[in-house]
Amino acid sequence: MSGVGWKEETVLSDLIIAARNVEKTYDTGKVQVHALKGVDLLVPRGEMVAIMGPSGCGKTTLLNCLSGLDEIDSGEVLIENTVLHDLPDDDRSDYRAKRMGFVFQLYNLLPVLSSVENVEMPLLVAGVKPAQARKASMEMLDVVGLVDRAHHLPTELSGGQRQRVTIARALVSEPAIVWADEPTGDLDSETAQEIIDLMTSLNKANGQTFVIVTHSREVGESAHRIVLMRDGQIEDDGLGNGTGNQAARAS
Amino acid sequence: MEELFGISMNSIMVALSAIFLAGMAAVVVMGWRNRVMVKLGLRNIPRRRAQTVLIIVGVMLSTVIIAAAFGTGDTISFSIRKATIDSLRNIDEIMLSTRVDASDSFGSPAYVPMGRFAALEADLSGLDIIDGMTPQVAETVPAQNPRTSLSEGQMRVVGLDTSRLAGFKPLALASSSQEVSLLDLASNEVFINEKAAKELEAVAQDEVRVVLEEGPQFFTVRGIVEDGGLAGRDPTIIMPMERAQALFDRPGELNVIVVSNKGDERSGADLSKEVARELRIFFADREVVGQLKVLLAQDSVLAQLQELEKDKDRIDGDARDDLGALIGQLQRTGTSDELIALLSDPEVSGNVLDALGGEEFSDIEVEASTLFDDIGEFSVLEIKRFLLGQADEAGSFVTSFFIIMGMFSIMVGILLIFLIFVMLAASRRSEMGMARAIGAKRSHLVQMFVFEGTAYAVVSAAVGVAVGLLVSSLIIFIANRIFESVAEDFSFVRHFELRSAIVAYCLGMVITFATIAFSAFRVSRLNIVAAVRGLPSPSTATSRGWRYAVQTFLPRVKNPFRFGWRMLLGLRHFNLVGQAGALANLLRTFRSILALPFAVLALLARLVLLPLKQGWLVLIAGVFLIVMGVGRWEHTAPFSIGVSLAVIGLGLILQTLLRRTSLREDRRDRIAFSFMGVFLLVFWLLPFDALESLTGELDSNIEMFFISGISMVGAAVWTVIYNADLILRALTLATSRFGKLRPVMVTAVAYPMSAKFRTGLTLAMFGLVIFTLIVMSVLTGSFGTAIADEDTVTGEWDIDASINFNTPIEDIEEAVAANPGLAIGDFQAMGGFTGFGVDARQVGVEEQRWEGYGVRAADDAFLASTKHKLKLIADGYGETSREAFDWLRSDPTLVVVDAFVVPSRSGGGFDEEGGFKLEGFYYDDETFKAVDIEIREPRTGEIRTFTVIGVLDQLTDAFGEIGGGMIGSKTVLDEALPFALPITTYRFRVAEGVDVAQAAKTLEASFQENGMETTVLTELLQEQADAQRAFNRLLTGFMGLGLMVGIASLGVISLRAVVERRQQIGVLRAIGYRKRMVQLSFLLESSFVALLGIGIGVGLGTILSYNLVTDIQKDVASIRFTVPWLQIGIIIAIAYVFSLVTTFLPARQASEIYPAEALRYE
Repeated sequence: MSGVGWKEETVLSDLIIAARNVEKTYDTGKVQVHALKGVDLLVPRGEMVAIMGPSGCGKTTLLNCLSGLDEIDSGEVLIENTVLHDLPDDDRSDYRAKRMGFVFQLYNLLPVLSSVENVEMPLLVAGVKPAQARKASMEMLDVVGLVDRAHHLPTELSGGQRQRVTIARALVSEPAIVWADEPTGDLDSETAQEIIDLMTSLNKANGQTFVIVTHSREVGESAHRIVLMRDGQIEDDGLGNGTGNQAARAS
Repeated sequence: MEELFGISMNSIMVALSAIFLAGMAAVVVMGWRNRVMVKLGLRNIPRRRAQTVLIIVGVMLSTVIIAAAFGTGDTISFSIRKATIDSLRNIDEIMLSTRVDASDSFGSPAYVPMGRFAALEADLSGLDIIDGMTPQVAETVPAQNPRTSLSEGQMRVVGLDTSRLAGFKPLALASSSQEVSLLDLASNEVFINEKAAKELEAVAQDEVRVVLEEGPQFFTVRGIVEDGGLAGRDPTIIMPMERAQALFDRPGELNVIVVSNKGDERSGADLSKEVARELRIFFADREVVGQLKVLLAQDSVLAQLQELEKDKDRIDGDARDDLGALIGQLQRTGTSDELIALLSDPEVSGNVLDALGGEEFSDIEVEASTLFDDIGEFSVLEIKRFLLGQADEAGSFVTSFFIIMGMFSIMVGILLIFLIFVMLAASRRSEMGMARAIGAKRSHLVQMFVFEGTAYAVVSAAVGVAVGLLVSSLIIFIANRIFESVAEDFSFVRHFELRSAIVAYCLGMVITFATIAFSAFRVSRLNIVAAVRGLPSPSTATSRGWRYAVQTFLPRVKNPFRFGWRMLLGLRHFNLVGQAGALANLLRTFRSILALPFAVLALLARLVLLPLKQGWLVLIAGVFLIVMGVGRWEHTAPFSIGVSLAVIGLGLILQTLLRRTSLREDRRDRIAFSFMGVFLLVFWLLPFDALESLTGELDSNIEMFFISGISMVGAAVWTVIYNADLILRALTLATSRFGKLRPVMVTAVAYPMSAKFRTGLTLAMFGLVIFTLIVMSVLTGSFGTAIADEDTVTGEWDIDASINFNTPIEDIEEAVAANPGLAIGDFQAMGGFTGFGVDARQVGVEEQRWEGYGVRAADDAFLASTKHKLKLIADGYGETSREAFDWLRSDPTLVVVDAFVVPSRSGGGFDEEGGFKLEGFYYDDETFKAVDIEIREPRTGEIRTFTVIGVLDQLTDAFGEIGGGMIGSKTVLDEALPFALPITTYRFRVAEGVDVAQAAKTLEASFQENGMETTVLTELLQEQADAQRAFNRLLTGFMGLGLMVGIASLGVISLRAVVERRQQIGVLRAIGYRKRMVQLSFLLESSFVALLGIGIGVGLGTILSYNLVTDIQKDVASIRFTVPWLQIGIIIAIAYVFSLVTTFLPARQASEIYPAEALRYE
């Protein structure tokens, strides 16, 4: 693997995410936005990483590119030693269904389905038998404390409850990685703390990797590591790498 | 076309234009006062081009259907008018003698001496409304062209008086339009018209052979003249009158007078009524008029006439004025020209006889009826006016027919417009919420939509009219292809009147505009917070009750007084400020007075809304309609609508009551609406006569098809939508084994079911369209089974052979046997009859008017071998049709009648309009008691009594192929007529193994001298059945236009759904949905709606057609309920496949979006 130029001391088998020199430019027709300018990032299995930085620095883009929700222009991304971007779209979808979970700021529940139906959706997509899926989903809702709201539609839930359903949905398939984009962005501080606690406890209990894009200091503090981004680059990856550290070293 | 649904097209145009202009004016004024909203509304149009195009197409569909109906009607009316003018040219009236004697013959008009004509001519010479009048000798003979061996059995020979042709279009050569004169003809030369030349393939200098009783005569064709006018439209040979008189041995006599009114070929007909009046006065028998006057001037009769005159339901317009004038004349002494003119007008005499209904007047009616027929020496036929009138009627019939048939599509089109605007509103919900939040009023939102909608409508209606014209051209093109085989020398000429275009445009606009206004109003009632935050709307608040209505109303009543008082107060101050204030208050006073009517309307609406919503007002309205429908109007429509309203009312009351319980809202709604839906369905699906024991017999007409369709489909959709979760559960269960299909299925069903209103609308549209197509298919399929029953139609005869009445065959069997070209053994049976018109009335019933009726006077051979089926046989005249026909042979005063003069209990097949009718029994009965009828030969006035002992099966005359009317032995009628009654139609049944078509050809060739023309009956039937099938397909195609709307609606919904759910698509993709799964989910969603709609349509359509067919079966026993599965399969396949195609593109587009991009979308 030295060919790709990873640091020799990195134990590749322990890495779940390895990104190198990832470039991404959005072309809106009128303007070109260089969203990611050669990002390198390594995340070991079981780690809870917070990606932070000012608005528009490329956090969400990075998350989308790493998780395979978006294409990259150049560079490499390895997820569990698989080059996700080389996979056909169908295989990538299947991979997401089986190995990844997503939590978004705007809850992003399907409004026409009840809580439990939302939660069981990834399992059904992954081909789990309906009865089994329902059972697992109810258990997961129990974990997030919403079993009594299982048959309510998202519109009948509060913001915090909706986010908990989203987390339940992200975790129900026992994914290797959970991607969270501003999971507490729309919540009051009390509810946000509940969500943070929930995520940290799940991370501890199951050893799942969490990559969380956030503005929230509390979230950052609960994470194992904070990756700071600025202007499409990693300023500090929390391990002493990044443009900020290079600048510091240079000075 | 002058009228539609009985209303003058001019009035329709004026009314619609007024509504249209008023609407537009209102929009313009609103726009002027609120230009920002105009800008906001119109700004949306160019934003999404594809959507704009789709909207315009969707909005135009109702207009297309209306314009197509008008275009077709206009074309038909114009074509018939054109054919009329082309064939008659300057001829406006035809006069025929009503006096007949032994020297006359059957079939040709009676002769009168030239002296009578000369007298008439002298008397009318001062009359400037006539510009030409000419006598003719006209006869029909068989003719042949020996050079081409072609023959024409019914060749007209017309002799024209060369000295009296002024006022008529001169004869002109067909080749060069050069005028020709009969004076130039040599002694054996004639002109023939184009039609004759075509039939005989004759050219100038050909010898034409005509067959007369005395033997053949030869003429040389001098030239071929243009058809129409004096040259006629039928195959005609034209010669000078003296030669025709000599040819037919009628020296110094004539038998036809044609009249040309002042004016050209078109405008001449306008004077027809006036001219006919003058002519009738001249010919009236004053003695008969005197007798009639004595008869009618009796006080009791006058009282009857006056009563009729007062009854505006029975008589109106000119007819009423004429009756009034007649009453006036009857009360005076002497017989004035006015009285003569009135009494000899057939319309007036008809009304007089109508007034004389009732038993106590029956003697007077009998006498009057006879006298009326004796008034004129000549009958005056206002031929052009009559035919042009028919043209207009045909046009407006076709237009109304297509509009009624298109009603479903128009309805579906309206739903589509509604749907489009609901979707537009949904897409702009947050934007509108924002606008409301920063202070826009509800009315501003309405205006915004109205401006945008008006812009669409203005363009759509124009495009719709243009497309509608194209559709009507297509209809006409296909109709011409269909009629090619049936009527070879008539074709429709495309024509469209500006007036129709204006009406279609305004109608389309008004419908669209109303729909837009309604949807805009609905849309504007949004909850601001929910709209801004994109939350589902809370359920609409219940009405605020009467107190609120009154509270908002009272200040508006006070306003005028308040401002008026302030104005007065202001006037006290004699300074500028005070005066200005007074002026302002004066204006306010005016404005508040002007606003009062609207306030009253709003109050009424608010006051009515609550009881409407609570249901009891609906229930009362329903019960009222039921009572009126059954008790007073005796009509199915109000009764059925009443029952439906009552059910809806009960449902709403149930809902109101349930509100007081602790049930959840959705449960309450489900119970109440399922109650309504299920009960409505059950009611509408009941067989037609299921409630007859309760309601008695009720009338119904074609609009019931429309009403029942809408109600059934509505009820079904209602039920389905409110119980959708059951379907969802069933489907989820069913797909639980299919692994990956399951999540896709879950979302595919969950989405449409969560947007109940939208889905309901689409379901209703799809269901309605499929419903109509299924009913059409099943009905035409079932009628096909009735047509297939050939033996009933033909009476098991194989060949029909008509001959010229001037060259009869003495004894057909002998003639066949004697003919060397024919073998008598080839024929199993042969017989003949003559069809002609008589007057008839039933003995011993109230109605004593002579009415026109047909007689088929048959020879013994025909009666002995015909196998026509009788539906009814009178008691005592045997069990089988054969026995009954044998009775006819043994007793020539017995007859059987056709089915059309016998009423039917269900109303089917019984022609309501005029004509001879029997009473006392029904076609649907098992048997009946023989009734007596009187038959009067119109030209001699001879009356004979016959006994009706049977009624032919309806199918016998369904194609009119053996003429119409009663069948009886010719013996009695021979006696009643002053001249011999020749057989004009023969029937042959060929022996087994003989080629029917060949036999027909041989017969025609063998009896060429007699002008025989043969038809193979099964071929004729086949042709007619083919034409009918083709016509049904055309109609099904026309109704299928609605299918386009249904399919378009699914497209609109999918397109919208893709945009609306972009973010959710991103979520699904993040969760692991493959591209194909996203696509499939959309396709399944459309399939779900389409298949549900198709299911509703097919199910309801089949049941309704079953009910219809069972009902028709009472009259037409041979009809069988047949479902044309292939055709239905094709319809379903088209509907389904195209709905998938319209969904496929948006679905693909949705699946191609990158998940990250989709997630970014808000």
